[in-house]
Amino acid sequence: MQSVTTTSQPPRAALRAVFDAVNWRRAALAVLLAVVAAAVLNPVFSVPFEVLVGRMVFIAAFLLVAFAVAGAWPPRWVPAWLAQVLAVVVAAPIATLLAYLPSVGGDLTKMLAHEGRLLGFIYITLTVLVIAPLLALGALYRQRDAQARAAQLAFALERSTLEKEALDARLRVLQAQVEPHFLFNTLANVQALVESGSPQAGPVLKSLISYLRAAVPKLHTQASTLAAEVSLARSYLELMQMRMPDRLQFSIEVAAGLDSIEFLPLSILTLVENAVRHGIDPSERGGRIDVSVQRDAGNGAIRVTVTDGGVGMDVSAVFGIGLANLESRLRGFFGSSARLELREVEPHGLSAEIVFEPSESARLASLGATS
Amino acid sequence: MSAFTAQGGIEGAPASALIADDEPLLRQQLRAYLARLWPELEIVAEARNGREAIELFEAFRPSVAFLDVHMPGCNGLDAARAIARRAQIVFVTAHEHYAVQAFEQGAIDYLVKPFDDARLADSVARLQARLAKPEPVAADLDAFLDRLAGKLKMQDAAARPKYLQWIRASVGASVRLIPVDQVAFLRSDEKYTLVAWDGGEALIRKTIRELADELDPEEFAQIHRSVIVNLRLVVQFDRGSNETAEVRLKGRREVLPVSRSFFHVFRQM
Repeated sequence: MQSVTTTSQPPRAALRAVFDAVNWRRAALAVLLAVVAAAVLNPVFSVPFEVLVGRMVFIAAFLLVAFAVAGAWPPRWVPAWLAQVLAVVVAAPIATLLAYLPSVGGDLTKMLAHEGRLLGFIYITLTVLVIAPLLALGALYRQRDAQARAAQLAFALERSTLEKEALDARLRVLQAQVEPHFLFNTLANVQALVESGSPQAGPVLKSLISYLRAAVPKLHTQASTLAAEVSLARSYLELMQMRMPDRLQFSIEVAAGLDSIEFLPLSILTLVENAVRHGIDPSERGGRIDVSVQRDAGNGAIRVTVTDGGVGMDVSAVFGIGLANLESRLRGFFGSSARLELREVEPHGLSAEIVFEPSESARLASLGATS
Repeated sequence: MSAFTAQGGIEGAPASALIADDEPLLRQQLRAYLARLWPELEIVAEARNGREAIELFEAFRPSVAFLDVHMPGCNGLDAARAIARRAQIVFVTAHEHYAVQAFEQGAIDYLVKPFDDARLADSVARLQARLAKPEPVAADLDAFLDRLAGKLKMQDAAARPKYLQWIRASVGASVRLIPVDQVAFLRSDEKYTLVAWDGGEALIRKTIRELADELDPEEFAQIHRSVIVNLRLVVQFDRGSNETAEVRLKGRREVLPVSRSFFHVFRQM
């Protein structure tokens, strides 16, 4: 019945569990029921009402302690809840016997010989046996209820934490996208082109503008199109190629008819930036980056692959937040079938692939575009 | 603290310089600026990375070295260490707020990209003054470079214990890289180790023992001679009889054994 982390507790913790189980609410309820039971049994008994109440309160207290102790040191061979109910059942006659002992001066034979006391003992034991297990079950039910509520609360807390993390991650992606280091280095290159009167200056500035237009935070943009995302990646690659012409070559190949598919903003750019930052930039010789977008003939799944021939992945390399949360962003956007797969490239380099099955509407849109 | 003076070339000879930057347009730009502001300065070499900078410095022994901080392979700081006090060093860097602070505390000149004629003219004036009358500079070059590397977060990464972030696994014909945070558990399977993650299962050649050493102990724990679990995914720990226990992981059907000697892993949970 109870699951979740039940290691054997050290004695002190078990003792605390006993005290926790004997709380004011339970103690008050036990006393109240003892008084009620005494009142009900009073007509049958010859002893004064106070004595009867005293015995019943003693029995109730004894049973409550038995219940708590069984809860704190549960035996291995029965579930904890059953052990607690059984403890109450076993303790009932013992407690009644103990309650009677003072009246017979501790002599058990005297009690068995006295018909009235024996009958009283049986009456009380039976009453206790009816009420106590029910009470124990009730207490256990309440306890389980409280545990369930605590678990629910913990779950809700975890979920809200996750939601917050997701939001934080999104904000970080949006804020961190245009790195000052990238921007100022690129501007230094543009400045060099302008000053030297290079005809390249115009096209490069155009790439920079289209890159900035797409990459500067737009908090409300949830969707983009494949064509827009590919063009953003192209702008970025053009800028990087201007900066490192001897170290970077690239190609972009997109299958026909996919342009208008709704696409996750900045996702292809994240892969391309990663390929530059972790693959090409650390390499003295540089390498190629190839971007390809294909549709599987079979299930219509779309594959966006960014392959670089750079230095490859260091297995202890920690990625930036952009790539780290890309997979969860992909799932959020394209559904649970979306995934990000990374593979090594021979002889060196890395291939990153986004795979997803486009939604029905996207498929129709793309079919409409091709027909 | 040790005083040092930059010797820089042979007395009486015209000043010479090395330019190191991985971006060719920026090398050309600096060369053009210097030709205008300091026509006597001879640019003896252009390097595309730190390694070339060191080689070319040794070959030409220029009196001034303009070093881009961020370069592939061996970076500008490494090159500066190798050149040490044998030339006047000017670092060239893109916007790096913290680095600029460090530069200002050090005695080494720096240029922040993109820079203009006026800023470079200041640098040139300082360089000319220092070359004309080498004066002792109270600064410890190595300590300064260490501090700078720290500011640039180039050393943090190296100093931090490097845990495995990716597991290389052959899946079909290709080698997949599986992010460790997606891995649910690892279990030895005769000669191999089975990796179970979000996207499937694969066999790898690393042993459980090797993996236990390489994975971040904050994230992963060995719970059995042949099992490592991702602690973040543990949802249930059940103690059985005879000193055995089992764990269940979020989103997985498998029940994994915990041996007695690893119970402590779950003590605080």
